[in-house]
Amino acid sequence: MPSEITLFEARRIITMNPSRPDATHIAVCDGRVLTVGTQAEFDGLDAVADRRFADKVILPGFVEGHAHVMEGTLWRQTYVGAGDRRSPDGRRVPGLRDIGAVVDRLSEADRSIADPDQLLYGWGFDPLHLGGARLTRHDLDRVSTTRPVMVHHASLHITNVNSLLLEMAGFDENTAIDGVPKLPDGTPSGELQGIAARLRLFRGLGYNPMSGTLDAADVARFGAAAQLQGITTIADLHNDLTDATVAVYGAACVEGLPVRIVPALASVSCPPEDGVARIGRLAAASTDRLRFGIVKIVVDGSIQGFTARLLPPGYHNGAPNGLWYVAPEDLDRIVGVYHAAGIQLHIHTNGNEATEAALDAVEKAQIARPRPDHRHTLQHCQMATEAQLRRVKALGLCLNLFSNHLYYWGDAHHDLTMGPERAARIDAAGSAARLGIPLAIHSDAPVTPLGPLFTAWCAVNRTTSSGRVLGPEERLSVAQALHAVTLGAAYTLRMDHCVGSIEAGKFADFAVLDADPYEVPSEALKDVPIHATVLGGRVFTVPPA
Amino acid sequence: MRRRLPAPATRCPLTVVGGFLGAGKTTLLNRLLAGSHGRYAVLVNDFGAINVDAGLIQDHDGQTLRLTNGCVCCSLADGFLDTLMRVLAEPEPFDHIVIEASGVGDPGAIAEIALVEPGLVLRGVVVLADAERLPGLAADPRLGDTLARQIRAADLLVLNKRDLVDEAGRAAARATLAALAPGIPVVETVAAALPAAFFDLGGAGPDRAWRGSTRLRAEAVPHEEAFQRLLYRRTGAFDRVALERALTAMPAALLRLKGRLGLADRPGMHLLQMVGRRWSLSPLPEPAPDAAELVGIAATDPGIGPALAGLLDAALRPPHIPHGDRTRCA
Repeated sequence: MPSEITLFEARRIITMNPSRPDATHIAVCDGRVLTVGTQAEFDGLDAVADRRFADKVILPGFVEGHAHVMEGTLWRQTYVGAGDRRSPDGRRVPGLRDIGAVVDRLSEADRSIADPDQLLYGWGFDPLHLGGARLTRHDLDRVSTTRPVMVHHASLHITNVNSLLLEMAGFDENTAIDGVPKLPDGTPSGELQGIAARLRLFRGLGYNPMSGTLDAADVARFGAAAQLQGITTIADLHNDLTDATVAVYGAACVEGLPVRIVPALASVSCPPEDGVARIGRLAAASTDRLRFGIVKIVVDGSIQGFTARLLPPGYHNGAPNGLWYVAPEDLDRIVGVYHAAGIQLHIHTNGNEATEAALDAVEKAQIARPRPDHRHTLQHCQMATEAQLRRVKALGLCLNLFSNHLYYWGDAHHDLTMGPERAARIDAAGSAARLGIPLAIHSDAPVTPLGPLFTAWCAVNRTTSSGRVLGPEERLSVAQALHAVTLGAAYTLRMDHCVGSIEAGKFADFAVLDADPYEVPSEALKDVPIHATVLGGRVFTVPPA
Repeated sequence: MRRRLPAPATRCPLTVVGGFLGAGKTTLLNRLLAGSHGRYAVLVNDFGAINVDAGLIQDHDGQTLRLTNGCVCCSLADGFLDTLMRVLAEPEPFDHIVIEASGVGDPGAIAEIALVEPGLVLRGVVVLADAERLPGLAADPRLGDTLARQIRAADLLVLNKRDLVDEAGRAAARATLAALAPGIPVVETVAAALPAAFFDLGGAGPDRAWRGSTRLRAEAVPHEEAFQRLLYRRTGAFDRVALERALTAMPAALLRLKGRLGLADRPGMHLLQMVGRRWSLSPLPEPAPDAAELVGIAATDPGIGPALAGLLDAALRPPHIPHGDRTRCA
C-alpha cells in the first residue's frame, strides 16, 4: 500500500533552497519532503490536505549548532537569571531584575520542596544585568537557614551559597583562599570560585550537583525547550559520551522527541586515538534522530571571564592573558589525528590567540593530509581578526559565531574586555558573510537562552542590553541571519543534505511562524511567535507564551 | 541535618606535580608508582601514558589502576573534582595523594585545595622543566605566561633532561628558573630520576608515626650519584621561632628534609616535613625523648652537611650535646 501523502499549505514557505526560494505548499510522505511548490503544481495529487498552517509562514526547522544538554538538566532546578526564558513545559519564566526578586523566586521554590534537607539550586544568575549587585549569604539566608541553598552564575564558574552551606563546606573567617571572598566583617560573603572552593562545597554537600548521569527526562526537557523555539535539530556540543549517556540518548531519541540531536564527543575525555575508535563505534549507532560523528575541542576560556587567550594588545582593562585549555602543540597533534581519520572537528576558540592556534593546527593537518570538504568549524571564534577570517576562508573552515554575546555581554566587551574598537567587531558575521565563509550563529544554551530568532535578531541588529549598537558594519541582513540558523548551521553539522532547507528528499522538518520574518521590522525579529514545529512530518504545537 | 564533615582523623599529604608538556611529569609518576613503598593515590591526566610493570597491576578498569604495592592511579579524564572526591572518600585512607597538573594547568590552583580541605596537608608543589626547551618556552609569546605561572607556583623545581644540554644550555635554563622563581631550590635530573627516597623518605608511610629508621634505601636509580643523603641527630629541643628562621634560610641544594623533633615551648614530638621551600610541623602522638632526628636529601655539594647542621644547631636549645655522627653523607 502506498504511503499517505500530506499536503501542507501555508501563507508563505521560505525554503532556503536558492532554486525555489518561495512556495505555498509542501507535500510530505514518509517523513520526508516529496515536493515543494504552489497550489497549481499539486492539482490532481492524491494527498490529505492539511490547512492548519494556511495563514502561517513556514521555514526550515531551525538548526542550533551549539548548545548543551545541560539546558535540559538545569530546568530541574530554579531559574534566577535576568532574561526571560521559557521552561521546557512552555511556561514563560520572567527574568529577575533585582536581588529581592531572586530571593522571592528561591523562597517560592523552597516552599515547594518537601525534603527539608534537599539542596535548593538556582541557576542563570548574572550580576552584570543587575547593575553589578552582589548576592551574599545574607540574601540566601532569607530563603532558608535550614536547607542548603546555592546559586550558579550564568558563567557557571561562580557559585553563591547560604550560611548553612558555607558551614557545611567548612568555610569561615579563618578561610584564606582567593576563591572565598570576605564581607567587610571578615566573614565569607558566600561567593565561591575556583576548584578548591568548589571541592569543599561538593564535599560539604556529599556529592557534585553539577555532574551525574544524564537521564531520559533531561533529554526530553532539552528537546522540549528547543522545540518551543522552532528548533528541529540541535547539537549537544560537548559530551563525554560514556556508555551510559549513549544508552540514555539512544532510548530518548525516538518518535515523539521533537528534535534530532547531534552530540559531539569531548576531545578532553580521551586521547585522540581512542576518540577515533569511539567515533567509529558511535557513528554505527547513529539514527535519523541521533547523529554521532563530530568531536569538540576547547582551546581557551571565555572573554567575559578573562580566560580567553588574546593576541596583543590583550584585555582592554589590562587583565592578564587568559588560559590555554589545551597547549598549541597538543592541539596540533589532536587536530592532526582526527583530521587524518576523516572526523569533523568543532573547535572552541574565544580569543584571537586561540583562533590563531586553531588555524595553525588545521593548516598543518591539511598540509600533512589534504582533505577536501573537511568542514572543521571554529565555534564562538568571537574575536577573530579580519586577517584570521581570510585564513578561515582559505583553509576551508566554517564558523559558528556566538551572536547572543552581542546582547548579553556586548556592553562588558565595550567597556571592559575589548574596548570600543574591538568590541565593534566581536562575532563579525558581516565580515564572514562578505568573505563567503560558511556561517552559523548560536546561543550556547544554557549559557544564553535558546532561540534562533533571537540569535538572528542579535546578528541583524547588534544591539547590546543597554541599547548600544556594536559595529553596524558587521550586521547581517535578515535573509543572511535566517540562512545562518537553518542551512548555514546544517552545513556546519554536515547535515545540509537532510535538514536546513525545504526541498524534495530532505526531512520534513519545519518551523511554523505566526508572522513573516521578512515583513516585520528587523528590530522585531526576535518577537515573531513560533506557532509549531514539524519533525519528519509530525506536527508539534507550541503553547502560547 | 549534618552541618559539618566529620573532622578527619589524620591529614593526608598532598603533593602537586606540575610542569609544561613534555617536562617529564609522567616519567616521574611512573617511577613513583613502580617504586613506592606506601599507599599512594596518583591522579594523572594522560592515563594511557602510565606504564608500570604488568606484574605490579592488580586491577585495571580503564579509569583506575590498582597496583599490588597498594598504590592507586586514577585518570582525571572523568572530571577533576569527581575523581578527587572519589579518592578522598576511599574507606582506607591513603598515605599520600599526588596530583598531576595538566601540561598547561596551574599547579598552584590545585595546591590551594590543601588550604581548605581538612583531610589534606600540602607537602609541596614540584614543578618540572625541560632543560632543553625551557628558555625557548619562557620567551614564547604564546606560552611564556603559562610557563611562568607554573614555575612561580613551585616549592621545588626539577630541571629535567639535563643530559640534553651542554654547560651553556644548563646555565641558560638555570638563569630562566632563577629569573622566574628566585630562591626556589632546583634539582637537576635525567629522565626525571629524583632520588628514590624523595617521596618515601624513611618510615613506612610518610606521615605515619616516625619509626626512627635512619638507613635510607639505596636503590639502583641511575644518576642518583648526583644526590647525597643527610642525617642530623641531636638531643635537645628547638626554639620554634629560631627553627622557622633556620628552615627559611636552608641552602638551595637541600631538596627534602624530614624527621621528628621537640619544640621548647610545646609538649611532645613534632614531625617536620620539608619539600624545597615549603615546610610544615605537626604534632606526633608520642612522648618527647628530647632528641631530634632528621634525614635529608640534597644535591651533591660538600658544604651542605655542615651548612645544614650549623643552621639547625643555632636554633637548638640546651641541652645541646652532640652525640654520634654529626652529619654524614650516606
